[in-house]
Amino acid sequence: MPTQRISWLSLLWLSSVFLLLAVTSLPAAPIKVGLVTDVGRVNDRSFNQSAWEGVELAKSNLGLGDRDIKYIETQDAKDYADNLAQFIEAEYQVIVTVGFALGDATVKAAKENPDTLFIGVDQFQGETLPNLAGLIFHEDQSGFLAGVLAAGMTKSGTIAAVLGTDLIPPVVAFNEGYIAGAKSVNPKIKVISTYHPGEISQAFVDPEWGAATAKQAMDQGADVIFGAGGLTGNGALQEVASQKGMYCIGVDADQWFTVPAAHPCLISSAMKLITPAVADLIGQAQAGTFEGGNVFGAAGLAPFHDFDGAVPQPLKNLLKAAKAGLDSGIIKTGYGN
Amino acid sequence: MAQANSNKPNVTQKQFFLGVFLIPFLALLTALAAGAVVMLAFGDDPILAYQGLFQGAFGSGRAWSVTIRKMIPFILTGLSVAVAFKAGLFNIGASGQFVMGSVCSVAIGIHFEGLPMIIHLPLAILSGMLGGMIWGAIPGLLKVTTGAHEVIVTIMMNYLASLFAGWTVYAGGTQGQTPGPLWDRTARAISETPDVFDSAQIPWLFGPPYRVHYGVFLALIAVVVVWWLIYKTTIGFEIRTVGQNPKAARYAGIRVEKTVVLTMGLAGALAGLAGTIEALGLNHKFAPEFGGQVGFDGITVALLGQTHPFGVVIASFLIGALDAGAAKMQFESGVAADIIQVIQALVLAFVAAPLIIKALFRLRSSDDEKHATKLNTSWGGS
Repeated sequence: MPTQRISWLSLLWLSSVFLLLAVTSLPAAPIKVGLVTDVGRVNDRSFNQSAWEGVELAKSNLGLGDRDIKYIETQDAKDYADNLAQFIEAEYQVIVTVGFALGDATVKAAKENPDTLFIGVDQFQGETLPNLAGLIFHEDQSGFLAGVLAAGMTKSGTIAAVLGTDLIPPVVAFNEGYIAGAKSVNPKIKVISTYHPGEISQAFVDPEWGAATAKQAMDQGADVIFGAGGLTGNGALQEVASQKGMYCIGVDADQWFTVPAAHPCLISSAMKLITPAVADLIGQAQAGTFEGGNVFGAAGLAPFHDFDGAVPQPLKNLLKAAKAGLDSGIIKTGYGN
Repeated sequence: MAQANSNKPNVTQKQFFLGVFLIPFLALLTALAAGAVVMLAFGDDPILAYQGLFQGAFGSGRAWSVTIRKMIPFILTGLSVAVAFKAGLFNIGASGQFVMGSVCSVAIGIHFEGLPMIIHLPLAILSGMLGGMIWGAIPGLLKVTTGAHEVIVTIMMNYLASLFAGWTVYAGGTQGQTPGPLWDRTARAISETPDVFDSAQIPWLFGPPYRVHYGVFLALIAVVVVWWLIYKTTIGFEIRTVGQNPKAARYAGIRVEKTVVLTMGLAGALAGLAGTIEALGLNHKFAPEFGGQVGFDGITVALLGQTHPFGVVIASFLIGALDAGAAKMQFESGVAADIIQVIQALVLAFVAAPLIIKALFRLRSSDDEKHATKLNTSWGGS
C-alpha cells in the first residue's frame, strides 16, 4: 500500500517538476521577493508591517514591478514551512520571514534550498549559513534609552512597562534594558514591569489586558509607561493617552505614525529600524553582496514629535551620551552577558 | 439523523447519505458563494482566489499532503466534540486536552533514550492520550459530583492547560528564574522542549517535503473504533441514551454519572491523541505556539459532520482543504487569508441551521422536524 502511493505521488511530483522546468526556461526576470508573516496580518502596525514596508522600499529602490513582491499571512504556527514552500516552489530569489518564531523553519528551508536567499527578521543565527541573514537588534540598548527617557520624564518616581510574553527573548531584552536605563538615571526609581501571562498566541493580541495593566500601573503611581508587545502594548498606549498628564513610550516602529490614538501621551518609541534594514539586505541580494549570519540593524529612539519642547535639553544630552556609550560598548545594559 | 439511523432501522440509506455526506458539501458550496460575494464587495477577484484555493489544497502532491496533514487533528478533535455531543455534553475543552496530550507525549518522548521504537512510541502515545483523558474526565467528574456545568469548567481547564504547558517549557533563565522541567537547556532563551528521540517520532509516510506521517492511520483507526463503540456496543447505547434523555436513561437502569465521566474521558483521550500526533508526528517537540486552536475548530468539524464519526472525516477533509489552500489563495490572488475563516464561520452557520440549506436546495425528507431539532437535543439534553 505505501509503495503504491509513493509511486503515484512521485509521478505527480515528476510531472509538476517538468511543468516548472517548462516555466523557468523563459527569459530571466528581475528578482522576486516573497515575505511570510508571523501569525497575524501584514498591516499589524508592528513587525510584519515594518518588514513588508522594507520589501516595498526595496521594490522602489530596485525598480521591481508590483508582481515581483508578494506576501503570505501565516494563519497557524504549524504552517511556516508550507508557506515558505509556496515561494520556493514559485522560484522566488529572496524570501523574508518575519519574527522569532519562524527561525527554525527558515533555517531548515535555507539548508534545503542553498540557491535561495533568506532574510530572517528578529532571528538570531547560532550557525552561519551563507544564504541566510538573521536581522537582529540590540533591543536591550533600545530599551535602555527608553528607560533613560522615562526616568528623566517621571515626576512620581514610578514608571512602568506593559509587555508581551517573557517566552520571547527580545521582549525580555527590552524590559531588562528599560530597567537598567531607568536605574542608571535614578537608582531608587520604582519600575512596575508586567508580562502578559498567556501563551504566545494571545500575548501580543490582547489590547484589553494591555489597557487594564496600564491602568493598574497608573493607579500605583506610575506616570510614564512603556508599552512593548504588539497590539497588547498598543492597548496600553491608548489607555495612557486617555489619562491626563501621563507619558507613554512605544516600541518597534515609530508609533507616532502607527498608533495615532496615542498622540496625547507618546513621547517617543524604542525602535528597531526594520524597514531600512530589510530594504538594504534585499538590495545586497540584488547586487550579489549578500552575506549570511547575524546582521545587526539600527536600534534607537524615535523623534519626540509634539513633545520635543517638553523634553528638557539636559535629558536630550543625556540620551545622546547614552546612545554613544551603548554604541561604543562603554555602557553595558547587563542583559545577556 | 445519524443516530436515528442506528436506532430506527426504517430510516433509509438515502437519508443517511443526505445527512452525513450531502449537507456538509452543500453548506460549503453556499459558504463559498457567500464568500465570493464578500470578495466582490471588497473589489477582489473570487475566481482567481478560488483557483488558488483549489490549487493550494489539491493542485500538487505537496498540496494534497498539506490537506491530509491538516485533516488529522481535525478528525480527532472533531470526534472528541462529537462523542461528547452524543451524551448531551458540550466539550469546549478539546483545546486544553489537545495541549495536555502534546505535553504528556513529549514528556515521554524526550526521555528514555535507547528504548526501542516498538516500546517508546506506543508509550509516548498512551501517555498523551492519558493526559488528555484525565483533563477531559475532570470536568465530567465535577459535573456529576457538584453539578458544575461542563462548558464553564472545560473553558477554564483550557486556560489551566495552556498555562501549565507554558510553565513546563519556560526558559526563565534570562531572568534568573527556575526553568520548566521540560525546557530544552540548549535552547538558550527559547521556551521549548528538546526534540523527541527518533524512537518516539511517528515516522513520515513519504518524508519531506511531503509532511504527512503515519498518524493519519491512527486517526482513521480512531474513527472506526469510535463508530463501533457508539453504535455497536452497550456503552455506546448508554452514551446515546443519556444524551437523548438522561431521566429515561436513569429509569432504564443506566448509571448516568458513570456514563458522563466515561464520555468526557473518552472525548479527552481523543483530543489528547490529536495533540500527541501533532507533537510526535509533525512538530517533534512542544512549544507554546503549538497551541490548541485546533481544539476549537473541532466544534466546527463535529457540527459540520453532523456529529457522526464518518461525517467528521468528511468535515475534516473540507475544513482541512480550506486551511491548506488559504496560503496559495493569498499568494495567487492577494485576497487576505482571513476570508477562509469567514467562509468556515459561514459553513458553521449554514450547518447549524440545516433547514436553510434544505430550503435553499429544496431537499425533502420525511422527518425534517427531527433533523432540525436534533443538534439542539444532543447538546442541551441534560
